[in-house]
Amino acid sequence: MIMPLLQGLKITFSHMFKKTITLQYPHERPNIPPGFRGLHALNVSHDKAKCVACYLCPTVCPAKCITVEAGEDANHDKYAAKYEIDMLRCIFCGYCVEACPVDAIRMTDTFELANMKRADFVFTKETLLEKK
Amino acid sequence: MVNLTIDDKQVTVPKDATIYDAAKAAGIRIPILCHDKKLHPFGGCRMCLVEVEQMKGRQIPACTTPVTEGMIVRTSTPDIIQARKMVLELLLLKHPIDCPVCDAAGDCDLQNLTYEYKVNANRFTDEKFQHKIDYENPLIERDMNRCIHCGKCARICDEIVSYGAYSFLNRGLEAKIGTEFDGPLNCEFCGSCVSVCPVGALLSRPFKFKARWWALSKTKTVCSYCGTGCQLTLGIKDGKVLTTIYDENQGFHNGQLCTRGRWGYQFVNSDKRLTTPLIRKNGKLVQASWEEALSAVKERLFSAKTAGGESAACLVTPRLTNEELFVLKKLFNVALGSQNIDHSAGYAHNALSAGALESLGYAASPSTIADIQKTNLLLVVKSDAYETHPVLGFEINLGVKRKGVDLRVVSDKRGKLSRLPDATTYVHKPGSEVLLFNAMARVIIGENLVDAGASSISGLAELKNSLQGYAPEKVAEACGMSADEIIVLARDYAKAEKALIMLPLGLGYPGHGKDLAQALINLALLTGKIGKEGCGVLIMGEKNNSQGAVDMGVYPAKGGKDAVAILDGCAAGTVKTLYVVGENPVVSYPNRKAVEAALDKVEFLIVQDLFLTETAEKAHVVLPACSFAEKDGTFTSVGKVIQRVNRAIAPVGLSRSDFEILNALYAACANTQPYADVAAVFAEISENVPAYKGISYAGLGENGVIWPAGGTPRFVPAEGGAVQGESGKYALLTGSALNHCGTLSRFGEGPMYVCPAGYAELSYTDASALKVKNDDLLTLKSASGEVRLKAKVSARMPQGVIFAPYHFGEESVNTLTTGAPVTWVNVSK
Ligand code: SF4
Ligand code: SF4
Ligand code: SF4
Ligand code: SF4
Ligand code: SF4
Ligand code: FES
Repeated sequence: MIMPLLQGLKITFSHMFKKTITLQYPHERPNIPPGFRGLHALNVSHDKAKCVACYLCPTVCPAKCITVEAGEDANHDKYAAKYEIDMLRCIFCGYCVEACPVDAIRMTDTFELANMKRADFVFTKETLLEKK
Repeated sequence: MVNLTIDDKQVTVPKDATIYDAAKAAGIRIPILCHDKKLHPFGGCRMCLVEVEQMKGRQIPACTTPVTEGMIVRTSTPDIIQARKMVLELLLLKHPIDCPVCDAAGDCDLQNLTYEYKVNANRFTDEKFQHKIDYENPLIERDMNRCIHCGKCARICDEIVSYGAYSFLNRGLEAKIGTEFDGPLNCEFCGSCVSVCPVGALLSRPFKFKARWWALSKTKTVCSYCGTGCQLTLGIKDGKVLTTIYDENQGFHNGQLCTRGRWGYQFVNSDKRLTTPLIRKNGKLVQASWEEALSAVKERLFSAKTAGGESAACLVTPRLTNEELFVLKKLFNVALGSQNIDHSAGYAHNALSAGALESLGYAASPSTIADIQKTNLLLVVKSDAYETHPVLGFEINLGVKRKGVDLRVVSDKRGKLSRLPDATTYVHKPGSEVLLFNAMARVIIGENLVDAGASSISGLAELKNSLQGYAPEKVAEACGMSADEIIVLARDYAKAEKALIMLPLGLGYPGHGKDLAQALINLALLTGKIGKEGCGVLIMGEKNNSQGAVDMGVYPAKGGKDAVAILDGCAAGTVKTLYVVGENPVVSYPNRKAVEAALDKVEFLIVQDLFLTETAEKAHVVLPACSFAEKDGTFTSVGKVIQRVNRAIAPVGLSRSDFEILNALYAACANTQPYADVAAVFAEISENVPAYKGISYAGLGENGVIWPAGGTPRFVPAEGGAVQGESGKYALLTGSALNHCGTLSRFGEGPMYVCPAGYAELSYTDASALKVKNDDLLTLKSASGEVRLKAKVSARMPQGVIFAPYHFGEESVNTLTTGAPVTWVNVSK
């Protein structure tokens, strides 16, 4: 009768001397490991988004949350006239990053995506562009 | 038949088959890049290599090697796979491999094969091609860096289109596909080259970057321009028609389309489409609800009905489906009690509805499209047959070049058909067709070339009598041909084992009516050339459902008014309510001034259309209708083929299909239940229209059904007089331009890029006499009006003859014409 009780207490006490794993968020910030899949960013090269609007990411996206519309620039090259991700639908699978043939999209460590309005969860090309 | 073994499978194929054909028949796929079933074998890419045991295992191309008895073929040994990989590596060596931005990706043979053969790396290195890309062309983007030199574009343009825009320039590494002197591409823009290009070297510019192939949904339907009835696959994304898709297995034409079918689809989602009903208030058309618009229409129709129906009339376009036309006719004939219903200005269906009906016993052509390639001698009336029905023009090209058909073009000007190998063109004076064909009939009788069967056809004696005055020597002068030419043509026609006559109809051809059709049918009957394969007369209705409109009987009967009488009635005040469905008489009917006056005069004008046309602008109520892409139903095309039209997208804006609108009006006016759906109407059609008996909507299938024609033919003398020229004046001929069909194609961007406005085409001699160059403005003046058109100087026009297409609203040629086959005009700079 007493033995199980003591065993329980032993576990309780042993934890008093271990390192705590609870994070006092938001006062403490997590240490984000590499390969974490947070908010997307569109990579930039030569002051332009690298994305060539190949439509592979919207095609591969299982949540169907990426909208791309291609345009033709002054040099007749293809670029994304519109690039939007609906973060309410995104499941952070990272397939878009894997599919991209030109390394135009990556996932950042930004995970704090709460917002007040539904519309604010749709990230446009401007907001997704990699910040320098 | 030849027996051979392919990959251990026994195959029996005809002896003219290639190894590729034989493998296909056995269900074995051999990869190809340069081969196309429609084209002559080429053997340029070496992708289709196979091993033949009898050839000591040498690798040979399957697409060019004919089968032989007992051949043992292997299609995928390790050696062959190695060889194919090498072919791909070499093709990719100088290729840009920019699939992410290439519109062909997903539909690219090179990409697919590279993936299939796992060519991930290249053993060789070289610089990429650095050819200049043609971005200027409005329809076809040419990026020769992506070209794999399969030659398909050049071959299809030559073999089937007979234009010959491309060929290989330079040799060896420098070789590339180019136009003459490597200049800009300025061709027919049929798009055949784009459709067969296996890679992204030739692309549709209007569709550039619009969508990926895999994101498009496809709907098979029928082209809504001309009467050829080509099958079409529409590519749809987000409820919009974005492009037409090539399908080499579609229709008699193997997916070939003309410039209108290929590039003219944009009218469907044009932002000029009407999206709400309009009602005239205080002299202005303002947006209204359907309830308001329909109740205004119903009120007018009810009061017309109470007054006996005679005060209501209808002009309808033969672009509607059979079901819509049937319900519309019932609305007028049964519900309102009015016989005043007509289409195509009356004259553009007369050849069928009066000519063929009287002479053959049924209002249709006795022949079918398949007869074109099966005949020995083809007599085409007017070189314009190519412009009015371009894909039938391809059939003629193929007939002449592959089947050795003897082509005779009888025309008032030369044209593309005249340039086909060994084609003979007889240029006659404008308007003298009936005279000429009567003279031919007379020669046939005079020289005893009449078929034995003709004597049992009634009316032969009257015909012989009526032809007394048409001796070739007498009419030669009026025809502008020599008597000998007429005699030789008549003899050749009569003596040919199989001979087919082609007669295009249309709003631009007022002379192609009853008499001309009957003169031609007489020729065919005299020589026993009706009812046999490869023989007969192919009367080609202008619009997608011209034949259907005649089948549905959408022309006046029982003393009803025809189109001319309806417009006269509007002007005189006897027609008080005019319902115009899809027609645009202001631009397309002769005598614009009179038409406009009549439409301004009529008490109540209802116009149902896709666009606010020149006619709709005059309406009291405008009802927005749907395009063919938003409809289900059937069209009947040249050669009596009934085909299914399938709905691809939801109606644009608040527009409703003509069927929905007419069904509601019919039910209200006749005080009955509306039809449940299109199939229910088709069922009633097959009960009521004898020709459609026993044909069911579901039974039409993918390729449609040819309705069987049967009737008692007889000879009906055709009257033809000489057209009197007026001194100092030019003969103005109207007609169709290749890029346009009716007035609808003006709303498709593709046709407008190439042919945006009307023009007056004249000969070099006349041009130098008038001192005009291309694009100078000419003033054309007839008894009824005056227009200014840009000059187009060309070698095909005879002296004293001017051609002007009729499709355009501005400076429209119907300002000059009054419905005569030839209009005499003064021309000045
Ligand atoms: S896969 Fe890459 S290049 Fe393609 S659309 Fe997405 S981000 Fe742009
Ligand atoms: S032609 Fe084919 S292989 Fe070449 S870039 Fe385009 S899709 Fe890729
Ligand atoms: S569009 Fe037609 S006519 Fe023009 S080059 Fe291509 S195949 Fe030839
Ligand atoms: S342009 Fe296209 S069709 Fe023409 S040769 Fe090159 S790859 Fe072949
Ligand atoms: S316009 Fe006529 S010939 Fe051209 S694609 Fe359409 S149906 Fe065929
Ligand atoms: S497909 Fe046979 S050689 Fe090109």
